[in-house]
Amino acid sequence: MATIAREDQITRPTYQEITRDITATLGRPSRGYYVLLGFVLVVLAIGAAALLYQIRFGLGVAGYTPPVMWGVYITTFVFWVGIAHSGTLISAILYLFRSAWRTSVYRTAEAMTVFAVMTAGLFPVIHVGRLWYAYWLFPYPNQRQLWVNFKSPLLWDVFAVSTYFTVSTLFLIVGLVPDLAAVREKATGWRRKLYEITSLGWRGTDQQWRHYTRAYLYLAALAAPLVLSVHSVVSWDFAMSIVPGWHATIFAPYFVAGAIYSGVAMVVTLLVPLRKVFRVQRYITVEHFENLAKLLLLTGLIVGYAYAVEYFMAWYSGSPYERAAFWNRAFGDYWWATWTMILCNGVLPLILFFRKVRQSIPALFVLSLFVNLGMWFERFVIIVVSLSFEYEPYAMGHYTPSWVEWAILAGSFAWFFMWFLLFAKNFPTVSITEVKEIIPMPRKQRAHS
Amino acid sequence: MAENSNGMNRRKFLTVLGVTGGGAAALSGCSSDSVEKLIPYLVPPENQVPGVATWYASTCRECPAGCGLHVRVREGRAVKVEGNPDHPVNAGRLCARGQASLQGLYNPDRVRQPLSRTADGKFEPIAWEDAIAQVAERLGGSPSDGVRFLTGHEAGSFDRLVDEWLAAFGSRGRVAFEPLGYEALRHANRTVFGIDGLARHDFAAADYVLSFGADFLDTWLSPVEHARGFGARHGYRDGHMGRYVHVEPRLSMTAMSADEWVAPRPGSEGLLALSVAHVIVRDGLASTPADVHRVRPLLDRHVPETVAAETGVPADTVARLAREFTAGPSVALAGGMGIQHAAAHVTAAAVNLLNYVAGNVGRTVRFEGTPTGRPAPYSRLVELTSDMKGGAVRALFMHGANPVHGTPPGLGFRDAMQAVPFKVSFARFMDETAQACDLVLPDHDPLEQWNDFETRPGVHALQQPVMQPVFDTRATGDVLLQVTARVGGPASARLTVTSFKDYLQRSWAALQARVGDRRPFATFWTEALQRGGVWREPSTQRVTLAASAGSLEGSSTWRLPEGRLALIAYPSSALYDGRGANRPWLQELPDPVTKTTWTTWVEIHPETGAELGIAEGDVVEIASDMATIRAQAYLYPGLRRDTVAVPMGQGHTAFGRYAEGRGANVLHLLDAEPTAFGGVATYTGVTLRATGEHAPLPKTEGKPRQMGRGIAQMVTLEELARGEGHGEHGAHAAPVPERIEEILDHWQEGQDEATKYGAYEGEHPRWGMAVDLSRCTGCSACVTACYAENNIATVGPESVRRGREMSWLRIERYFEGGENGEPFEARVLPMLCQQCGSAPCETVCPVFAAYHTPDGLNGQIYNRCVGTRYCSNNCPYKVRYFNWFDYQEPADPTFAWPEPLHWLLNPDVTVRSKGVMEKCTFCVQRIRDKQNQAKLEDRDRLADGEVLTACQQTCPSDAIVFGDLNDPNSRVSALARETRGYHALGELNTRPAVTYLKKVRNLVEG
Repeated sequence: MATIAREDQITRPTYQEITRDITATLGRPSRGYYVLLGFVLVVLAIGAAALLYQIRFGLGVAGYTPPVMWGVYITTFVFWVGIAHSGTLISAILYLFRSAWRTSVYRTAEAMTVFAVMTAGLFPVIHVGRLWYAYWLFPYPNQRQLWVNFKSPLLWDVFAVSTYFTVSTLFLIVGLVPDLAAVREKATGWRRKLYEITSLGWRGTDQQWRHYTRAYLYLAALAAPLVLSVHSVVSWDFAMSIVPGWHATIFAPYFVAGAIYSGVAMVVTLLVPLRKVFRVQRYITVEHFENLAKLLLLTGLIVGYAYAVEYFMAWYSGSPYERAAFWNRAFGDYWWATWTMILCNGVLPLILFFRKVRQSIPALFVLSLFVNLGMWFERFVIIVVSLSFEYEPYAMGHYTPSWVEWAILAGSFAWFFMWFLLFAKNFPTVSITEVKEIIPMPRKQRAHS
Repeated sequence: MAENSNGMNRRKFLTVLGVTGGGAAALSGCSSDSVEKLIPYLVPPENQVPGVATWYASTCRECPAGCGLHVRVREGRAVKVEGNPDHPVNAGRLCARGQASLQGLYNPDRVRQPLSRTADGKFEPIAWEDAIAQVAERLGGSPSDGVRFLTGHEAGSFDRLVDEWLAAFGSRGRVAFEPLGYEALRHANRTVFGIDGLARHDFAAADYVLSFGADFLDTWLSPVEHARGFGARHGYRDGHMGRYVHVEPRLSMTAMSADEWVAPRPGSEGLLALSVAHVIVRDGLASTPADVHRVRPLLDRHVPETVAAETGVPADTVARLAREFTAGPSVALAGGMGIQHAAAHVTAAAVNLLNYVAGNVGRTVRFEGTPTGRPAPYSRLVELTSDMKGGAVRALFMHGANPVHGTPPGLGFRDAMQAVPFKVSFARFMDETAQACDLVLPDHDPLEQWNDFETRPGVHALQQPVMQPVFDTRATGDVLLQVTARVGGPASARLTVTSFKDYLQRSWAALQARVGDRRPFATFWTEALQRGGVWREPSTQRVTLAASAGSLEGSSTWRLPEGRLALIAYPSSALYDGRGANRPWLQELPDPVTKTTWTTWVEIHPETGAELGIAEGDVVEIASDMATIRAQAYLYPGLRRDTVAVPMGQGHTAFGRYAEGRGANVLHLLDAEPTAFGGVATYTGVTLRATGEHAPLPKTEGKPRQMGRGIAQMVTLEELARGEGHGEHGAHAAPVPERIEEILDHWQEGQDEATKYGAYEGEHPRWGMAVDLSRCTGCSACVTACYAENNIATVGPESVRRGREMSWLRIERYFEGGENGEPFEARVLPMLCQQCGSAPCETVCPVFAAYHTPDGLNGQIYNRCVGTRYCSNNCPYKVRYFNWFDYQEPADPTFAWPEPLHWLLNPDVTVRSKGVMEKCTFCVQRIRDKQNQAKLEDRDRLADGEVLTACQQTCPSDAIVFGDLNDPNSRVSALARETRGYHALGELNTRPAVTYLKKVRNLVEG
């Protein structure tokens, strides 16, 4: 079983220290926090203004160029859904596998998951032509007897994403309960009220613990398959079509691996500054980062392999459309996007084979940014580049996003970080209870008074 | 009229209904009296049922071809024009310009009332009576030759009225100027045959067509009539087809249908024609008329071997052309404006001789007597201009002509107008010429007025008002008569009729006597109105060579100056000479060759472009001795390397919002000096210079080549005769092993079985279409017809650049060859929704907006569409179009139908809103209309050919056939079974309802 801290680095924290250190993160926010939050809100407002502009005049204000009917919005949707995946992986699957190192990072990952799904969920709505009718995608009873088409992968997507959102939110909330009870004690004012309600009357009795751990286990078991299924369904949005470059059986595993890959990268991106700002280096250590790096390397290799297999299949299929589509990816108008993707996702992560890199937090941080960028480009390449080069040569076209799309993309990051910033100051970003679980029981004589 | 549907309530609805009903009531009486009372629909007017269209016959006046029209009128408004099936010229078909005539009628930039120029140079509205009084006062009672009247080409009562009216004022200063006046052809007919007129060419009787630059499917003389005959004879049928060779430095839209393209040195086409004639006479290939000996000396000078150096066409090609030309019924054509260089009259004369020695004159080339109303050559306009400059013109009247835009600026027409004290324009639009006038007295649109037009000898066509005038305009004929009445005295004594309609009826009474009809005039008149006119089979004139035939005056070639590129200024297929530039449908209609819209481009050979460092979209300065213009480059392999081409029609500085400030006017580059034959030379030497500026071209084409995907397929006649070229040759053209074939068959059976699941119960039609690519010329009339029928929005050049044009039906044009010494070829294919039996678009729609109808259509429910656009991604044909903006919202900048343009919207078709997907429906409203009609008549099924889609209805070459594929006896089923039939991208198993029949090229010699 992994330990929370290596002996040679820092001293092992005690229960009291854990509670103290982590509740300290909820203290009075600094000026820097408000500046950051203000900046994020301004960017969000710009994104919202761009969206209103788009709603008023139509989707034409985005850069759509038929035949590229899906652009930055769907790219960003898949990007955020992908980000959402590592949270559940770390919290549910690693929980089931009893990987103790997850304990100090899973809360951040889970919160990230929920906020990423909340961000992703906006994009299909932003993307549709008449967003005021987006609710028609839900099979709700109505007197007009209108029903949805269960054959459409888009409908599966609606179910997959909404299920994922529900389960991951539940999982986050349930995991928070004992911690909220812990911070409840020292909180004052409205926050005390908030914790009193959200801790659901937790008193830490034996019985409560017994029920709680059971419930958490079952929820983890429920959430685990979603990690695989949700992004498989998202991938079928593409794989079920007849678009050359989309129609491939490898898409489900390829997308799941890609999703975890991008999600882990985002966890790293978030944890590095968080641990510094919140001074929780004792709990989130280099060893955690090394484990994340290993996960990054594994999924990165799968993704790189998928890239290679895609090209192989395009050649092996004998289909001139597939071959042309992949030739166009590598050497067509969008070659730069493809090579950015291959460089960021396929080549750069190979340096993680070196332990030195895995243990260097600055190196990991920079690498995670590249992977984030690369994974956004991966979706861009799959969606935009494939669509721009389909069957009908006369109808091929070149898409360049407009400022509206960039503004909304930036707004989506602002939206995500706004939630994250609010969460980080109001809820423990490192699990108090679970971190305590993995350190040895305090012996009476060693306990502080 | 209140048109805002948002504010519509019951009372308003009834008011509108009443007003339109009133208009309709007036129409049913065929009267142009204005209705001043609102008449509610309590007593419905006879023959006007709300929701049921009334059709009126009239004549298209968009170009001098004069096709017959049927105008569909709903609730008092014209909503669609179609060809008149009874008309001898167009037999029910129309070109894109004809289809767009509605946008002239409802053009928002029409002059809405009479305007008078004030002292500060602005125009102010003026009452009709005041305007007429002003004209009368200016003209006064004294006869004078200082009155001049400039009109366009007119042939009928208005033509005569203008002459008589001028005569009443003692003037003979009439000039009928038509920018595309074919002066070279007229000149050649005079020199060679001594005939003052144009010939009629019988394409349906010609197995072999040899065109020297004549764009006879495009703008030349009567393109719709030509396309019909050409389609019938040149289209493949039962192992036979005609052959067509095109001789021109540029591969025009017409030439895309050619079986062979010969590109001689620019200016030497005449020599080539003469040398072909030489070979025919030398080798005795045809039984030549006896008087050919008179031109022997001329022909003897043009031995193919010596001419070859000049033309760049090898002598054996000439000999072959001569053999082919005389092997059967043939016709040779001389270029219109397309090759109108300084020696164009020699080319035309040489072609006349060629036709003569081959015995074609009197058979495929017929002269049928002198038509009424002949346009004056350009040189007459030059004389008029110098008269104006000299101060000899006291008053100038202008109708149907825009010489300020339509002539080279070197002529100085605008300046000359300054010297005329009183200028009156009868223009319907504030064009460049009208802007320089003192009074603008707007004429009715041709669809609002009485008139007639003698298209050609024997074809007397009528125009009748199909609806109440949209604006406060008056028919010019009436205005002229009102002026004479006002002037009084001797002038009014000579013109006693009070209205132009009376004048027209008088001349038709005379016509009735001429044609020997003894019935009462009212019967004759009504019948003529219903049919659209009166036509008789004309007698063919006997033609012999004139004395001047053997001595062609002037230089027989035009030589390109050293270091220059030859510029071809050709009439635009959509905008014609520029008169179509204010019609958004025509502006947005992709040029059949370059697929470019809304601007002026210069076609440059890719190698020339590479030499000069010019890429597609680069802004290029084109300099001639006269001027310099700027245009965007389009690299076109269908040109000689020493030639560039620029279309006419753009560069308007006035003429309304759709025309102004787009592209450049190529006429600026041309010499204003009239040529020996009295026309403008549309050829000149130019130099090109890249300006370094670049912008994407507003074109609808993605990639110009089909990457071996077999979308537009071709087979040679020889291959067909050998029994090859059958079946599908899509992307998988390689031979398939037998074992694989078996597996595929098995798979296909499984697929057939699988598609039965989910099929509708009972018997239904399966609507299908067959498109014969051996007939399709790419003329794009169907595209505009589709816009008109289906309320398709025009989106403007910026959106076209982003590929957002909405044309449900597009003509794809693919280049083949032209590299590494292969012959260059262009193929066209109308691409529309294939109404797949196993449609990829349907399964992916999450809300069932895309669904399958029982009769096999891929339905699209606009008001259910959320706009995920997945259907479009999954459509391999890319025939789904998304409403990126609100084209139907008047408050939006993207509104496509500014008042009163929205009057032309088809009330049977939804106007789509922002954020929904739309697509071709196979004109489902027409199908349902006929089905309802059949139901009323107690018929269970429709007859084959009863439903005509809008594209099929207008197709000049009859390339499109629509019908029920489930009926084995229907025409479309028979065509779908043809060996040439294939499905575009058929290997995707989409099971399209559209079958394409491969283009056939006749490469067989002789």
